[in-house]
Amino acid sequence: MNHRYCRSIGSIVLLALLTGLLLFSPAVAFAVPSHPPVQTEWWVWEIALFVFSFFLGIIAVIAGVGGGVLFVPIVSSFFPFHIDFVRGAGLLVALSGALSAGSPLLKKGLANLKLALSMALIASISSIAGAMVGLAMPENVVQLSLGATILGISMIMLLSKNSAYPEITEPDTLSQILHIYGIYYDEQLKKEVSWQIHRTPIGLMLFIVIGFMAGMFGLGAGWANVPVFNLVLGAPLRVSVATSIFVLSINDTAAAWVYLHKGAVLPLIAVPSVAGMMLGTKIGARLLTKVHTRVVRKLVITLLAAAGMRALLKGFGI
Amino acid sequence: MKQQLHANRIQLTYATVLSWTSTLGIIFVVAGYLVYVLQLLPSAVSPSEVAMHWHLRAAELHKIVPVPSGWDWIYQLGRGDVLSYASVVYLSSVTMLCLAVIIPLFLKEKDMIYSVMTLLQVLVLVFAAAGIVSGGH
Repeated sequence: MNHRYCRSIGSIVLLALLTGLLLFSPAVAFAVPSHPPVQTEWWVWEIALFVFSFFLGIIAVIAGVGGGVLFVPIVSSFFPFHIDFVRGAGLLVALSGALSAGSPLLKKGLANLKLALSMALIASISSIAGAMVGLAMPENVVQLSLGATILGISMIMLLSKNSAYPEITEPDTLSQILHIYGIYYDEQLKKEVSWQIHRTPIGLMLFIVIGFMAGMFGLGAGWANVPVFNLVLGAPLRVSVATSIFVLSINDTAAAWVYLHKGAVLPLIAVPSVAGMMLGTKIGARLLTKVHTRVVRKLVITLLAAAGMRALLKGFGI
Repeated sequence: MKQQLHANRIQLTYATVLSWTSTLGIIFVVAGYLVYVLQLLPSAVSPSEVAMHWHLRAAELHKIVPVPSGWDWIYQLGRGDVLSYASVVYLSSVTMLCLAVIIPLFLKEKDMIYSVMTLLQVLVLVFAAAGIVSGGH
């Protein structure tokens, strides 16, 4: 009873956070249109971006989504920065999150180096291509395609059902040649789980598409990596999530360099976002057991869909 | 004990290098940013100047204000804006460093598939960093 009460209180607090996130959106708070010359002091935007990213980090962890995928559509909707810089910052947000989470996951054997390297090589090349195409496209086309992609991601998040321990009876030839298999200790089952994969060529094809989209929009690609590892290749969910983070660190590095060379990374935008998101993620992890994650996840999907719609409307010039 | 069982030596080496280099990266990024915004070092472009133009496309902003991009900042490390940018460049190089470290380990284990694959991966990232495949200037 007491536990249920605490979780309800936690959910209400989270709901308030989400509302705060929307109300705090500087476009509302400072009543400025989306692309004017800046009238508000620059440091106000810096603090706003840090606080905004902090809240985003909290709800991203609780909703079980990567910060990068929330960051780009929401920040490009509510802040006065050009979407070029928001995408550059989004890549760095996703990259720094992946770098800091990567080490413990590799040490525990949850992230698998060979599985990640096999997929990341081809995905990182397409990520570079995606970044180059994305930065060359007219702004309205970027907004339109970002809006459509975000709406698609919301649908995937709403409908996809993961499989914790998929059963693979026979691994495919390519995965055997590449020695992609493993064993990890499952804390929940309290036993060792061995795994192997199948449909490796299909997985490789899908990673080309994922890499391209991640580079093009500056999104972290956990929303796509995890279902492909888990549902297509048949890796256990924990291995899929951990290896996805590792692949993300390679793909986003490749794309980030394109943004750096094209001048689309401004530390003034990237650093408060990275710092806020990382701090928020740590707080979010502590709140994880105290809130109704399903409710928050649904709210975040709604928020994501709204940001996708807003990007679509911006693309149409509305 | 468990972690030694489930992650091989190469994976553990990668994890250790990643842990150190990424922690250092986060510290650099925050420190570089503070040096810039608190204007502890002189900068070619002040934060307020950047803020006046950050609603423009990246290419247009660069025509107006000389903010660092690519590698054009390398001889100006004494500037606050450059220092902040350099820290972001370092963070973007962490993965490359980690991957480069494990190539000799794969070679030592005579694992030719992953030696070549990791080498190719590092080359892709090095080419991207050099601006060869990423439209650098």
